[in-house]
Amino acid sequence: MALYHTHTGRPPVKIARNTVIILVLLAFALATLFPIYFMIISSFGEPVEAGAMDYKLFPSSFSLESYKFFFQFSEYTYRWLLNSLIVATTVMVTNVLFASMAGYAFSKIKFKGRALIFTVLLVAMMIPYQVTQVPLYILIVNIFHIQNTYTALILPGLVTVYNIFLAKQFMGSIPNEILECAKIEGCNQFQIYFRIIMPLSKTVLAVMAILTFMDNWNTFFWPFLVTNSMDMQTIQVGLKNFRFANTTYFAPMMAGATISALPMFILFFSLQKYFLEGVTVGAVKG
Amino acid sequence: MKKKMRVLATVFALSMALTTLSACGSKDDAKSNADDPNAKDTITALLPPVSANFQSNFDQMTKDFNAKYPNLTLKIEPASWEDMTSKLDTQVNAGSPPDIAFMGSDGISKYVQQGMLMDISDTATEEMIKDYDAAPLEYMKNGKGLYGFPAYMEAHAIGGNKEFMEKAGIDYKKVQKEGWTFDEFREAIKKGVVSEGGKTSRYGFVFATAGVTSKDYLGILVKSAGMPAAFDKDLKYAYTSKNFLEVLKDIRVMIDDGSMPKELSSIDAGKRWNMFLTGQTMITGKGLAGFERSAKLNNEKLQNKDASAVKGSIPVDYVVLPVPSFAGAQAQASVAVDGYVTFRGTKEPTAAHKANVVKAANFLSSGANAATTNNELFVAQITESSRKAAESMTVERDADNKAAVEAMLKTAVPARPDIPTDLGAKAIKLEDEVIVPKLQALIAGEITPEKMYDAVKSAAVSAFGEDGVVKD
Amino acid sequence: MTEYAKPIKRRKIKGDAAWGYAFVAVAVLVFAMFTAYPVVSALIISFQEYKPLGSTFIGLENYTETFKDSLFWKAVVNTIIYTLLTVPVSLFLSFAVSILILPLKKKLQTTFKAVYYLPAVASGVALSVVWLWIFDPMPVGIFNKVTSFFGLGTHNWLGSSAYAMFSLVLMAWLSSHGTSIIIYLAALLGIDGSYYEAAELDGANFFQKLWYIVVPCLKPTTLFLLVTGIIGSFQVFQNAYLMTGGGPDNATTMVGLLIFNNAFKYFEFGKAAAQSLVLAAIIAGISLVQFKFLGKDVEY
Repeated sequence: MALYHTHTGRPPVKIARNTVIILVLLAFALATLFPIYFMIISSFGEPVEAGAMDYKLFPSSFSLESYKFFFQFSEYTYRWLLNSLIVATTVMVTNVLFASMAGYAFSKIKFKGRALIFTVLLVAMMIPYQVTQVPLYILIVNIFHIQNTYTALILPGLVTVYNIFLAKQFMGSIPNEILECAKIEGCNQFQIYFRIIMPLSKTVLAVMAILTFMDNWNTFFWPFLVTNSMDMQTIQVGLKNFRFANTTYFAPMMAGATISALPMFILFFSLQKYFLEGVTVGAVKG
Repeated sequence: MKKKMRVLATVFALSMALTTLSACGSKDDAKSNADDPNAKDTITALLPPVSANFQSNFDQMTKDFNAKYPNLTLKIEPASWEDMTSKLDTQVNAGSPPDIAFMGSDGISKYVQQGMLMDISDTATEEMIKDYDAAPLEYMKNGKGLYGFPAYMEAHAIGGNKEFMEKAGIDYKKVQKEGWTFDEFREAIKKGVVSEGGKTSRYGFVFATAGVTSKDYLGILVKSAGMPAAFDKDLKYAYTSKNFLEVLKDIRVMIDDGSMPKELSSIDAGKRWNMFLTGQTMITGKGLAGFERSAKLNNEKLQNKDASAVKGSIPVDYVVLPVPSFAGAQAQASVAVDGYVTFRGTKEPTAAHKANVVKAANFLSSGANAATTNNELFVAQITESSRKAAESMTVERDADNKAAVEAMLKTAVPARPDIPTDLGAKAIKLEDEVIVPKLQALIAGEITPEKMYDAVKSAAVSAFGEDGVVKD
Repeated sequence: MTEYAKPIKRRKIKGDAAWGYAFVAVAVLVFAMFTAYPVVSALIISFQEYKPLGSTFIGLENYTETFKDSLFWKAVVNTIIYTLLTVPVSLFLSFAVSILILPLKKKLQTTFKAVYYLPAVASGVALSVVWLWIFDPMPVGIFNKVTSFFGLGTHNWLGSSAYAMFSLVLMAWLSSHGTSIIIYLAALLGIDGSYYEAAELDGANFFQKLWYIVVPCLKPTTLFLLVTGIIGSFQVFQNAYLMTGGGPDNATTMVGLLIFNNAFKYFEFGKAAAQSLVLAAIIAGISLVQFKFLGKDVEY
């Protein structure tokens, strides 16, 4: 029934196996989690400068000062969070929609130039952003004159090649027979996309949603370039203001990083339903 | 294949169409179209957090400016230090920089070469120019042009722990007044080392050299080895001189003596300050004037048993010390002059706008604004007007330190506006691609001073030619 | 979309093809504006000495200079070494972790997914601060404590040519694999149960199922992660920049760092554009090989 033997009727074997697995996973998790652990415990430290930072494994004191400091640091703190939320959510929605449409077309619909267009998209992905950034900036600021607007923050990320590629790779493995059946039953491509492909791709769309949201939530450089007033900055740009000439307010920065990580957890857990129920073709057929 | 080409051609055509658009669309930010000096105008300024409270004063600064010049609006864009250059550079490359940006004067030549700076020598009034001290103002020049106003001139020093130096029998007051040679310095830091059974618990000297900060280290030392700039008076590349090799040998010898940690190559600015406060080193570098205040703050916390004091730290009296002189040369203080640099866009700015930008740059770099910021940074005032404004402000500063800094500023390395921009650019590239990497290897003990010297020399000869370098 | 409609109409396309164009229209439009246009601009710039106030055409000079530059090739080699050491290992680790998470109960699955995903949400700068602390060169450094505990002595992790690259690689190994893990898991959950059933009837054991069902079914996912991983790795420069500054002695200088420096530090924008396009060509070449070997989408 599954990759793993179910060990029906022999629960102790199953328990033993799962315990071993959990221990292995925990050990590896400890290594990767360490920086996060450090980020969180440091955020409960006193708001001192980085040169004075004392690196320790266990917090010696617990204080919420840094969180207060973070919210009092600027009158725009809430605004930054809101801006990030607006931008990341919009980009997330458009990506899930347009990338899945394009991914479906590239993997399942035959049309002339399909391979070529897709190759061009992929090759463009290989060009480092350092070079494309100035022409892009010229386009947004000098030609469209939309700096310091949500449009400027959202537009370039409306749909990314990464997500199209991801969608294409996943949708490629949806059996063609199902699509053919649907066609025979008189569905047009949009109906197929909406009624069959979308539900079958729930898992990958959820993954795409969270990755896109996270990526846009964390992105720093582009919002930094195209915003020029405090009220349009995103949280990542605002966070950087904690860094001063020769010092950094370390704990508040970590508090800010922790706060800015929170929405991602909320999103993660609200989407977990989709992560966990792998949508198998069989389920749909039945 | 044909069809494929057609699609490609369409994509290409669309992109080209956009390119053409960009050519005629690149409007620029010369906001005032009339030459009327009283017309409404907006001046944009990209400013980093120069001092801790600098950015929180932005609103006040804009208000004050508007009060002084009712027809003008100052629009300030805040940016953090490390990101501000990348933003500015993108804007400059796109042809639409802000009118004013706060930056180090060493960056001026790069932008002059791009043709994106605004020469204000014909617009700045006599009255304005007179207000600034001559030495820092020189740093804002390149060739004949003046490209902004200086905010401060800070001497790069090193800093010592008073108690440890007294214990080691170092007459630091004399050093503060008269300076020291490398040999004296070497003996002094040897005496500062405390070790037990091969384990060193305190070093004599720790300088931040991790990553790109190693550039600072060498840059500060060579100034006092008879090489105040990368080029000598005849515009020959200076770092091929035998004095350069001397400095490299001395850098190595301090580590081999055990006065500096052998792990020096990965000690960063935060780490060495921590080592200084926790008594793991007697002297640290580079030392900035504001460190005196940081140390004092920590001392207060220790006294009040405040938990936020640096863990394991001890009360420290920070003593400003000059950098030693090398190879019998005159000690010369390396200085950083930062200021408000004036930019232009792709379109030639009108005379009225230019005058307004100059007003804004002058407003930011003098009077009460400069007085507040410079006091906060513990650096000297460099305009008459800010000196006057600062009279009413009190600064708690150690008198000896203040005198030491002033003595150093007297030996400040003079500005070199005569170095042509293309030579300057070549020198910077050579520094980044050869000197800094080799220096990191030298500090890590992977190559000898001679080997590094040879590498720099051969790179310099290929960049500037046999006749373009100093030979002695 | 319109730009494709014209030549196609004449050939009487089937309904499906029209849908195809409609579905990719937004993507292609966004791409043309915000990616293709900058890329074409970069291509033009690569033949110029770029100045905002008027560039001059200099032909292939930027390219010939790039090919002659020994530092560029050193950086290419460094980048390839870094990629070879990090990407396959990360891929294997994420694959192994997702396989291990699979049999657990739902609650545990979620927990572990969240746990492994966590590091991805922390900002890069905050993390680099922690890593600098881990690689502290003095005996008090965390990593030095570990190595001296095992009798391996203390080392100057980031400050010596011998260890700097290794330290960056280690950092990549222990950093977040969260993205790859959740993508792999999504793919794993999509494998139809009937395949396992059939295999079980044939008496296949765990490893046989893994090799004959899971690995082939995950091929498209692996290809995706491999290609994007290599692209990412080739363009990365932040870690090297923050941790070692490319040193010592250029031991960790990556192409991404060189391009960044050329574009902004020296304002040699044309050269940076030329180097980027050379880099893109190298990545494209590598990707082509991967598509050849892994490209055939598995049909089942």
